[in-house]
Order: sequence, then C-alpha cells, then structure tokens
Amino acid sequence: MVDKFLIKLENVSKDFTGTAGAKRNVLEDINLELLPEDSGNIISLLSSFGSGKSTLLKIIAGLEKPSEGTVLLGHKFSKERNNEIIYIPEKPSSFPWLNVEENIKFALKEVNNKNIVKEFIDMVGLSGYENHHPNNKSLGFRFRITLARALAVQPKLILLDDPFKRMSNETKDEIYGLVKSVGKNYNIAMILGTSNISEAVYLSNRIYLMKKNPGIIFNAIEMNAETMKERGLSRHDRFISLKNEIEKLFSSAGENFHSQ
Amino acid sequence: MIKKKNSNNSSYIYVLVYFILWVVLFEFILPVNSILPKPSIVYQSFSDLWTDYHLFSNYLSTLSGIYISLFVAYFLMQISCSFFIKGKTFLSDFIGSLNWFSKFLPGIVIGLLFIFWFPNSEYIEFIFLFVTAFTSIVIFVESQLEDLQMEYLDSARSLGADEPTISKQVVWKMIQPKIFLHILELNTYLWSLAIAFETIKGGSGLGDIFRLALKYRDLSALFSVFLIAGITVFIAKSIIKFLKNKFAFWS
Repeated sequence: MVDKFLIKLENVSKDFTGTAGAKRNVLEDINLELLPEDSGNIISLLSSFGSGKSTLLKIIAGLEKPSEGTVLLGHKFSKERNNEIIYIPEKPSSFPWLNVEENIKFALKEVNNKNIVKEFIDMVGLSGYENHHPNNKSLGFRFRITLARALAVQPKLILLDDPFKRMSNETKDEIYGLVKSVGKNYNIAMILGTSNISEAVYLSNRIYLMKKNPGIIFNAIEMNAETMKERGLSRHDRFISLKNEIEKLFSSAGENFHSQ
Repeated sequence: MIKKKNSNNSSYIYVLVYFILWVVLFEFILPVNSILPKPSIVYQSFSDLWTDYHLFSNYLSTLSGIYISLFVAYFLMQISCSFFIKGKTFLSDFIGSLNWFSKFLPGIVIGLLFIFWFPNSEYIEFIFLFVTAFTSIVIFVESQLEDLQMEYLDSARSLGADEPTISKQVVWKMIQPKIFLHILELNTYLWSLAIAFETIKGGSGLGDIFRLALKYRDLSALFSVFLIAGITVFIAKSIIKFLKNKFAFWS
C-alpha cells in the first residue's frame, strides 16, 4: 500500500491539568500533513517559548498522547511508539556512559554490524572518535552522536526539538550544514521546533508559524525554489525579507516575537 | 577573587597537625593521663591486640561483614533494578514505609531486635548489615526516580527500546554516579552500625575489642582500634571514589 502522506495530524489538541486542578489547553486543533515529497526536506514549527512545540513533537513521536485528535503515520495510526520517527530533544541526549560506537549500537539493538556503525560515524564526521565518551564534550560533538544514532534506525522522519538552541554560532554553522546534507542523502524528512527565525528561514523548506495560549498553527510559509524566484530577490535580500515578513505575521497575530 | 579550597589537602594537613600535637602533648608533656594514651604505648599495644584481642580475625570479621553485605546489596539491586524502576509495587511501597520509620528510629534499634531474636546466630550481623544496606540503596534509588533526566528516557523510547532495556541500560546507568556517592555515605554509616552492633552483641568483630577494652579500662587498645577503623574507612572511601571515577565517571 502506497502511503499518501508521511504523517498527518487531524484536530490534535492537548490539555494539561495543573497542580491546582485547573486545565490548561496547550495545543488546540492542530492540523498538519507531511507528504512523501517532503522526504529530504526540513519543516519548521516556529514560535516563541511556551507555545507547545515540544508537546506537539512528542505527540508526533508517540511519547505523549493527544487529548483529542489523531496522528497518522503513513496509512497507520501512530498510537504506539514507532521508530520510523525519531525524536531528538533540546538537551544533549547521547548517553554519557556509552562511547560513540556504543551509542550507535544501542539504536541498532541485535544488529551488530561494524560497517553500519562505521558508516554513520563517518557520516556525522566522528571518525577516529569511536571510543570517546560524550561526557564533557561539546554540544556539537554530542549532537553528532545523537544524529548518527537516529540515522542508524533508518527513520522516515526525525523530530528536532530545538537542539541547536545552546550551541555557539560557529558550531551551529557546522551542524546546520550536516543536518541539511544528512536529510538529503538519506531522504529523511525533518520537523524542527525552533524559536529562532533566522534558523527557521535558513534551514526550512516550509515554516509553520505557531502562537501560544493555546498553541495553534496560524500560518505557513512555503520556501521552495519557485517561490524564491517569483520574489526575484538575491539570497541575502531574500533572507532579510523573509525574516521581516515573518516578524510582521507574528505581530499581526498579536504575538510579541523578535528575530534573533 | 575567592580561590577554590582544596579540601582534601587541608584535611591531610589537619590530620598531620593533630598527629604531631598528640605526639608532643601526650608523649612528652602529659605522659600520664586518662584522656589519650601515650604514643609509644599505643605502638607497643599493637602486639597485644594481635595476641590478646585476636585483632586479625576480629578485623576480618567486621571488614567482611560490612563490605560483603554492601556489595551483595548493590549487585542484588542491579539485578532487580527493573523491578523497582518500573513503578510502584507492594515491595517498593513496603520499603518506602521503612524510610518513614528510619526518620525516627536509629538503625541500631533494629540491630538490638536482631540480637534479641537471634542471640547465638553467627550470621545475624551480616543479615542486619545487608538489610540496612539494601533498604538504604532501594530507598535512595526510588528517590532518584523522581528526578530523572527526561532527554535520555525520551531518546531511548523514541529509538524503540523496551521498558526492561530502559530500566537496565538507561535509568540504572543514569543514576550510577549518585549511587556511588550514596555508597560513600553508607560506608561510614555501616561502620558505625557494625561497631555498635558488635559492641552490644559481643563474640567477634572490632566492636568486641572495644567492649573488652572498655571492660578492662585499656585506653591504648581502645585508641589503637579507633585508629585502625579510621584508617580502614579512609582507605575504603578512597577505593569507592576510585571505582566511581572508573565505572561511573559521567555526571
């Protein structure tokens, strides 16, 4: 059966009950669809802090259950965890008690093929560091391990929950290039949750804009090559123009959101 | 600018200063007193300890009682960690209730009951120390479960790991550095309990030497065993720290 879509969210809402018993609506009526053509692309969820991006990504990953609505993975319901979708959290999540090679083997489970492990280590630029532990290493180093571990599962979709937030600008530049090339080479779709407009504009093929209280998607911007040509702008001008446009869209939606 | 203190070095200096003070004060200035023994008499008393107080067998008895019970408790916890980690069970609730009692009852009170129930058992000290160590480790592990780093759990679940794998290969590993720190504290606590238990019960162990030394008013024997116990606790702590740096080096 050919899948019509990679993932489809229909009317997804999420409530949390606070300590005082009051319900808080974190996400409301989220509809989102990624098609097979989105494989190799990066789709961003852009919003300020606290608008439910992480919750939405965890729902897609199957780590949280929606209060209402459905999440479909291909033609299947994605009620259970499914390692066709890999979630990469904001904080470094490579296991510090395992070295680089062991971290990747953790994802491979029974398969103990050294060539597979080597392929992913080479892919993320960690050749020669196989026996190094991530403990006390840079955020970039730890992210590379997490990415290699995710690739080892051969997922269709990788969810990036703002993992670049704490990285230095130099590290970000390297990692952005790596993430883009990995997505293209392995034909994997990625959803990036971010509160950095520049990051979203630089990396994404499509940006969903979210506002908070409750978290909703209020706009989407296509960033494909045709759209760019139609605008007739140079790369740098296009970047600035898009950032300004996004800021205006947030402002007109009543969101106080400034570009980084 | 405030400089970070090197507490280890300053502790060694304090020990050295106290040692010199003891030698100068009690060897030359106050050789006859009932506060602390004369250093040269302490030196001579080691041979008496060996023959009259059976130091070697008593020392081995205390040492094996403490460390065998500690390691058995640790490895039993490692084997059964998925059982305690997976959530609330009757056993974990029961052990949790012991935590509540332990806030009000000193551990040695339980030891007194053990002595009362099994006055002639050779293994009762080991059982008492094992129960104390295991209960303490279980209570500590359960307290750590409330403060886990979710990024590791989310990643493992997302990678398709099942719950026993997550318990053994993620949660248990995640809390290892803190468990080792807890074992460091437990080490000193078990020494206090073991010596108190042996002093009360008698029969074997360094506590039995303390009991006899108190009975015969033998200050030099009392002080010598105090030194031996202190040096052993110090060496054991150093070994546990070494093991932590070797096997639980992450933070």
